Amino acid sequence: EKNITLDSATRIELSCRLDSKYSHLKSLRVTWKRGNETIRHINKTENSWSIQLMILDNSKLGSYSCVLQGEEEISAVFHLQVPKIEGKEKPIISYEGDTVVMTCKSFDYAPIAWTWYVTNGSEQIAINDSLLADKYVINRISANVTHLKILKVTKEDDGVYWCEAAFELGKSIGKLKLKVLSLMVPLKPFLAIVAEVVIIVTMVFLYEMYSKKKEKRAEYEKEFDQVEQL
Amino acid sequence: MPAKDSNAPDGGYGWVVVVSAFMVMGLTAAVLKTFGLFFVEIQQHFDELASNTSWITSVAIATFHLGAPVASSLCVRYTHRAVVITGGLLAFSGMALGFLGLSMVWMYATTGFLQGLGISFSWTPAISIVSHYFSKRRALANAIASTGECAFAFTFGPFFQWLISQYGWKGALLIIGGIQLNICVCGVLMRPLASSCLFEASHSETETPPGNGASRIDKEVKSPITHKTFNWMLARRPEFVFYAIFGILAAMSFFVPPLFLVPLSHSLGIDESWTASLLSILAMVDFAGRLLCGWYANLHVTKTVHLLTMTIVLISTSLLLLPLANNYLSLAIFTGFYGFFFGTTVAVHITVLADVVGMSDFDSALGLFMLIRSTGGFVGPPLAGLIVDMVGDYKAGFYMAGATLVLSAGFLVTLDQIQQRKGRVSQTNKPEKPTLPYPSLHLLKLQHRRYQGHDVVV
Repeated sequence: EKNITLDSATRIELSCRLDSKYSHLKSLRVTWKRGNETIRHINKTENSWSIQLMILDNSKLGSYSCVLQGEEEISAVFHLQVPKIEGKEKPIISYEGDTVVMTCKSFDYAPIAWTWYVTNGSEQIAINDSLLADKYVINRISANVTHLKILKVTKEDDGVYWCEAAFELGKSIGKLKLKVLSLMVPLKPFLAIVAEVVIIVTMVFLYEMYSKKKEKRAEYEKEFDQVEQL
Repeated sequence: MPAKDSNAPDGGYGWVVVVSAFMVMGLTAAVLKTFGLFFVEIQQHFDELASNTSWITSVAIATFHLGAPVASSLCVRYTHRAVVITGGLLAFSGMALGFLGLSMVWMYATTGFLQGLGISFSWTPAISIVSHYFSKRRALANAIASTGECAFAFTFGPFFQWLISQYGWKGALLIIGGIQLNICVCGVLMRPLASSCLFEASHSETETPPGNGASRIDKEVKSPITHKTFNWMLARRPEFVFYAIFGILAAMSFFVPPLFLVPLSHSLGIDESWTASLLSILAMVDFAGRLLCGWYANLHVTKTVHLLTMTIVLISTSLLLLPLANNYLSLAIFTGFYGFFFGTTVAVHITVLADVVGMSDFDSALGLFMLIRSTGGFVGPPLAGLIVDMVGDYKAGFYMAGATLVLSAGFLVTLDQIQQRKGRVSQTNKPEKPTLPYPSLHLLKLQHRRYQGHDVVV
């Protein structure tokens, strides 16, 4: 199996070569298929069979396989795809009122355009940053990288975001998750710890003052005893 | 001349102090070590270069070293307890304000400067007070306290990761700040020892042995003054100077191996997760080394200076042999040796400082030593980087570190020679500096050193 990434219209040649250990097979019939459809133009040499494809649009992408029919059936598959987009697996954590920057990267190939979508319920809604300019800012940092900046994040912004890269041959998406926390969330354990510290410090101080008083009282009593003895 | 305080409890409440010092070391040094986990998060949030983000740690480390002498002199004036509590509050404020995350410069000021200052004000007195509380068992106590750094660093790695995944880096900073507030709890437990200089002076008045009355009164007048201020005269003493030079060379070498271990491991083709395990091995053997060395030094079988020289030689041998490793197993073994002997050195080098300068100047000496040592720490990694770039191989970094350590061992040997010569000379003269408030016990100690039954000068 092989994955081939294509970002723009091109002519491509796929060939299947039979390994020498199979040269004992006699009736060799090789068919190239895409799904159920058989592809005709085959160039054949002694041990290899190839096809030439003109990939002009998205419909031509997909899985192409060469199948050898004979005593055994051997096949190889080629997956022709658009470039993959990297989002972020771990959720991005942000706080209410903060500014979040979400990054999407394309490897090796520069997309023609980037679009960002936010998931509302089950729908994907495109983010129009000129319409909501005080909320969203979309920046294309470089040819391969796009940033979505969300200003003054609120609880409603929590959810799944998609970045879509448009290539000549199709579109590719990456997924990002945004989690919005209120300030109370870290504040609670924080205040608990601070309270614990204050309590322990006070206890230690009180204990020391108490034991010092006891010492002083013991000293006075000792001197008192000594005076009495005299 | 080993510093012995006969009023040092050597146990009892001293162990409470050791435990609090253990925790302070963990809450300061381990946090600094694990801060690297925040790098990527902070860098991405502010959309900054990695080099700009790494300035945060540089500022923290610089402030830590520059603050050490300040902390020491404050210890001398106010109590250790007060300085540690202040340090705890500073560190806490640094992290908690970092939570606001207003800008990169804000991060430099809070998680860099304030945190570094807080760590400096907490760490220095914590180390110092352990040495004050112990005399015979000082090596063991110091070693146990220093293992705090390893133990906490081991757990903070996964813990900080979890905090960041739950609360984001901002929330994590806030919570870590709260955790650092516990430094104040540890500080409160560090009860100042009853012996202050005034106490020494008044006590010696009541127990004057016959004869030498006049010379003793002179010394009483002098001692309160030298104790209350930072003692710059330390720089005149050759033993301190040699030890400080040793410190510089050792610091030049110490920061290099952890820096280059990961790239060296990658260049040998070792996988990332295995490389991470190397660092865990380092932490674990470091812990073991510190404990073992503390226990051994406590047996008082060898002089601490000799012990330190031996450990330095062993580290440099491990470092010079480490480049021979060509696969994971051999690298892990050499890393284990290096980590173990590194732990032994760290465990004992503070005790050696106490033995070199004596307890009366220990606080000032500690601060000054840290300050001088920091120059080595700043010069070492860039110099090693330069050498590695020139040679084109990470192994050169390890050779450089090993060679520097061998050089530093030379200074230790010279220091030992000076001390031995002074010891022989002073056996025929009276001792110069007043060190002990209990003349009777001092008499016993002098008899043990085969003095010729002279009167005691305290």
